[in-house]
Amino acid sequence: MTRTPRDIFIVCNNIEELGGLQRWAHHTAGMLEASGHAVHLIGVVHPESVHDYGRDLPYRTSVLHRVHPPSAWGPRTVRDRLDVVARRREALRKASVRQAADRLTALFRAARPGAIVIVPQVWAMEWVAAADTSGLRVIGMSHESFEASANSSRARRVRRWFADVDRLLLLTVEDADAWSRDGLNNVDVLPNPLPITPETTSERTAPLVVALGRLSFEKGYDLLLEAWVDVARRRPDWRLRLYGSGPEEARLRARASTLGLTDGVEFAGRTADVEGALREASVFAAPSRAEGFPISLMEAMAMGVPSVAFDCAPGVREIVAHERNGLLVPRGNTREFTVALERLITDRALRDRLGEQGLEDVTRFAPEAVLERWEQIFGYVYR
Amino acid sequence: MSVSRAPDVSVIVIVYNDATRLPRAVDSVLRQTLDNLEILIVDDASTDDSFAVAERFAAEHPGKVRAIRLEHNSGGCSRPRNEGIDRALGTFVMFLDSDDTLDRHACKNMLVAAEETGADLISGLCVRLHEGRNGKITPWYPELYAERAVLESASERPELLYDTLSTNKCYRRTFLNDHELRFPEGLHYEDLLFSARAYLGANRITLIPNTVYQWRVVKDAKVRSISNRRGELRNFTDRLAIHRRIDEELQTEELRSLKLLKDVKFLQHDLVLYLWGLPFQTEEFRREFIPLAQEYLATLDPRAFREAKHIPALAAYLVLRDDWPNLLTAIDLVLNRSKVAAPLHRQDGRVYWCAEHLDDELGRAILDVTDLVTWAKPLDQVWLGNDLVHYSSTGGSVRLAGLIVNPLDRIEPTARLSARLEFRSRRKKLAMTAVHVPVDSIRHTPEGLAWETTVDLTRTLHPVGVLDPVWDVWMDLTVDGVVSTSRLFATSLPEDARSIPIRPRLGKAVGDHVLPFITDKGHLSFTVTHEGTIARKGRELVLRTADSAFGHKLVSTARKQITRTGARKREAFRLARTALAKLPVRKGLVVFESHLGLQYSDNPRYIHEELRRSGARFEAVWVYAESRAGFPKDATLVKRGSWAHYKALAQAEFWIDNQGVLGDAVKNPGTTYIQTWHGSALKRMGFDMPSVKQSDAAAQARLQKGVDRFDYFVVRSEHDVETLMAAYRLRAEPLRTGYPRNDALADADAPTADVEALRAELGLVGDPRRIVLYAPTFRPREEDEEFEMPFDLERWVRELGEEFVLLVRTHYLDAVDLPPSLAKDVRDASATHDVTPLLRLADVLITDYSSLMFDYALLDRPMVFYTYDYEAYTRQSRGAYFELADRAPGPLAADQDALFAAVRESGAEHGHYADLRRAFVKSYGEYDRGTAARQIVERFFPTGGAQ
Repeated sequence: MTRTPRDIFIVCNNIEELGGLQRWAHHTAGMLEASGHAVHLIGVVHPESVHDYGRDLPYRTSVLHRVHPPSAWGPRTVRDRLDVVARRREALRKASVRQAADRLTALFRAARPGAIVIVPQVWAMEWVAAADTSGLRVIGMSHESFEASANSSRARRVRRWFADVDRLLLLTVEDADAWSRDGLNNVDVLPNPLPITPETTSERTAPLVVALGRLSFEKGYDLLLEAWVDVARRRPDWRLRLYGSGPEEARLRARASTLGLTDGVEFAGRTADVEGALREASVFAAPSRAEGFPISLMEAMAMGVPSVAFDCAPGVREIVAHERNGLLVPRGNTREFTVALERLITDRALRDRLGEQGLEDVTRFAPEAVLERWEQIFGYVYR
Repeated sequence: MSVSRAPDVSVIVIVYNDATRLPRAVDSVLRQTLDNLEILIVDDASTDDSFAVAERFAAEHPGKVRAIRLEHNSGGCSRPRNEGIDRALGTFVMFLDSDDTLDRHACKNMLVAAEETGADLISGLCVRLHEGRNGKITPWYPELYAERAVLESASERPELLYDTLSTNKCYRRTFLNDHELRFPEGLHYEDLLFSARAYLGANRITLIPNTVYQWRVVKDAKVRSISNRRGELRNFTDRLAIHRRIDEELQTEELRSLKLLKDVKFLQHDLVLYLWGLPFQTEEFRREFIPLAQEYLATLDPRAFREAKHIPALAAYLVLRDDWPNLLTAIDLVLNRSKVAAPLHRQDGRVYWCAEHLDDELGRAILDVTDLVTWAKPLDQVWLGNDLVHYSSTGGSVRLAGLIVNPLDRIEPTARLSARLEFRSRRKKLAMTAVHVPVDSIRHTPEGLAWETTVDLTRTLHPVGVLDPVWDVWMDLTVDGVVSTSRLFATSLPEDARSIPIRPRLGKAVGDHVLPFITDKGHLSFTVTHEGTIARKGRELVLRTADSAFGHKLVSTARKQITRTGARKREAFRLARTALAKLPVRKGLVVFESHLGLQYSDNPRYIHEELRRSGARFEAVWVYAESRAGFPKDATLVKRGSWAHYKALAQAEFWIDNQGVLGDAVKNPGTTYIQTWHGSALKRMGFDMPSVKQSDAAAQARLQKGVDRFDYFVVRSEHDVETLMAAYRLRAEPLRTGYPRNDALADADAPTADVEALRAELGLVGDPRRIVLYAPTFRPREEDEEFEMPFDLERWVRELGEEFVLLVRTHYLDAVDLPPSLAKDVRDASATHDVTPLLRLADVLITDYSSLMFDYALLDRPMVFYTYDYEAYTRQSRGAYFELADRAPGPLAADQDALFAAVRESGAEHGHYADLRRAFVKSYGEYDRGTAARQIVERFFPTGGAQ
């Protein structure tokens, strides 16, 4: 496929935080830049805590607001209408958004024909919508499942801000169809790319189950601990290692000790070496209550480690095929989670079969494959 | 990317005398997110400006829009569309009618789907936009388009044949040309044939869930004239011609299944479209219609009659037999699904629609309505056919006479009969303005119940005016004290039926007459009309105002008011809560609730009864959810969620409930919440349930907050403490009293009056057979699924009917439809609020995982566990607190054979199960000693104490 070199803007809420979306944005920007496009990665604001994504990035980066603008406000009651301070603040906010949008407009106007604006988060879309995008094509994205959006205020905002973009990309066909049924007609599908390219994979021999991610309630580590109780009793030779930190850490540690899991369960803290962490593991546990398109599942697969995951979102089903390259468990059913873990622990051959199949299946999400899909979508929006 | 490349899509817009709407259609294509397309406007020789409009578009968009004009009008859609296909240059072709529009992304979605799947045919969702009805939208066969799908052939999804539109689709142009696929000219319903051929010929079909086509529906002209109805016959012959041509295409062996499906569709859909109106046509029309239909029906696969839905098949069969009297009642059934419109016929233990045609095998199968029509239900749940046989009026008074169907002569000649007419505004909120007039005479005749009456409408009917333009006529028939409601069915009114003067409450300006008419469903109604000068002027004024700037403002303000009421309500509720929190608690006020207000039953009921006996000073409030029926008369009844309910809760000294009081109720500090619960647990509950475990933090916090309101929790054993109380993380104090509802089960000397009353109610007095109660637990199902009996009832009756009578009690969230033909041996006991007398009545209990097992064990009678889905239920869905198979005090039956055997042997069971039962009671019901209600009342309502 001959590629037209394009000017590509990726506009995120912020581009400096340590988070899944930011990792995705930098990875994608690098990928597109390396394939010949001129990428400009733009954050609307600076985050509270800044992560170092490196100097001398191969693509351009900017941040629109030097200072975080106040949150949007609208009068709801009569008393609100008389609130002079709030009204003044809202006017200032609007003016500063206007200014930032004007900066975007200037950048967009300077772009070559065939330019693309990618907006991976709905909050940032407010700025892009306020800018002049004529002559360009705008691609919106939602990085979470339809259900997760529907359960929060984001569904309303997605409907409002993304209904008119040229294409709205969802992570899975299932989510895209759900949005179609909901009335959005511009939806299409793009999976997240696999961020690692490992040289060596896991041998799957060490008696170790690994889980990796933020220690937050939605990641469901409390459920994993509960499921582990019976495993620990029956297979005391196996250990469970949890990587990550987060707001639930203290509670989880306490829970582990109430459950009598002090010996076999390790809290290993945050790690920068994901590949190393997974290379030692024989089984990967993904007990989340809610997910978008979990990168850690792809990473485990790319390291040859079979997963046990709660079937909590289309993204999980898209990555893990039950009994083919991993095991899926009905949401919240910790007893079945135990059964699945034990199956992989006791059955070496099963572990190997699922793990090897995973290595093959994960190539669907290899950067080259995802890049090819981007080119296809760029082509579509200019047809 | 060269400039001269072929367009991706050609959109063919056809127009005939529609110059005003054409621009809207064309604009919807020009605004597409797909740029690389062409528009061909094909004008079918319009006599208005349509072609000029088309040419203007062509001039404004050279190279993109072409205007084509047919020399002669073709009178249909086929010729212009075919012309468009011939002239198109795009890789793909789509069609658009001048009165409709395309969704902005339609062409791009079609193109992307076509390119990614390589399909010849892509089909997306069509929505009907009802103009002028606040933008109401109804999707067309949405179930076909719920998710994207790629089909190699139409036979993978034969239901596609139902979507016969050609406009919500995108066709590869080479596919149309290679198959010489064109619209048939000179016939209506060209889409039917074209789509069927496209489905059959396409080398891959892709379905997308996106809305592509907006079918703009203008409200139907009110009453169609006779000449239009004549036209309908033409329509029908055209439709038959199209179907015959589709049939030709479907003749090959491999398309047999499609042919059958198409025949089924003809019965259910195509034919029904004409049958609806048939009773209201002239006899002449009917004489022409029936032979036409008959002739085509004779060519259908006979299996189609058996596979089609029963009601359309019934009507079609009677068309085939040219039996007008029975067909008329069958059409009444088509129009009014739940009506018993025919007298029916009983033969060999089955019930038939009529006595004729039973010598024919197909006739016997189709006319057998034993399980279709509700002939066996109590009269108050039956809608009887009621033919209006006479209508006349003089001045303000109307004379009516009719005949009510007496199905299977179930209403005895000796029955006491009376009837009254009800005139009721169709607007539900004005139901209270209904007026009733007694019927002068009603008597039993061999043909049915004949009635007649005269009503002075001018004196009785007083509409408000404006708000209530339509008044329906109902009849309440009373048979030995049981009331059965019906409507007056007629196919036409006498030519000379004229309007009747009335006096609306708002005065003559809003109307001065009512005019009788027959509704689309064949029922007599009246509509308010304006005949005098004042009324006509008044009406003009109302209409003019509505159309003026002021009127528009008025309407938009009203609409805003309505949309804002949600927010207003929430705000009002917030304020009200603050007020409720300040209310003082009233001593002795008890709010009772059982199963979310659905029943007067269970522990709260027995505590209430004990309170009555105790002589304590108290004031009872019962919460009901749907109906007040069955609730006690000595209590104040409040509807669940009403203001009165919230207020009672805020003022109550006690809440006594078995499940969960409204989550947002105000519980004041002086209120004590006694949670009695409704059964011990086998299945995992509360935070032990997977569905709760997987829910987010906010949902879990809500649940915890709800159960943290409990102050006391009634338990039957330490098992309850270890399972239920732990599972809900309760801080409440356990009341180790046992269940009040089980007092009568634990106490062999308990009075049996309620058991005997129930025996009589179920018609079991003097029945020597042993009583088996089947009480399964609730199983989660898809939304449109209904509860189904998991064993064959007919086999049950055959094999066990002589020895046992079966009572079925579903979970309170379920409902069961039992075949009326088995009524002697199988009865529905679901409507009984209170389960305790039912348990006491039963000699044997069949259950599965229901908590009733814990209660019934107290009676020390045989139990059978019908656990056909044991693995799936206990492991996959919920999980259990103990292994039922190890502890069940009765045999587990995994299938029907085992179940029937176990029931048969239940009479002669050996001591083994009796021992298990006692152990079971000891483990799970140790506190059930027959004194629970008394203990609770004595503790919380000390009589003569400080008050």
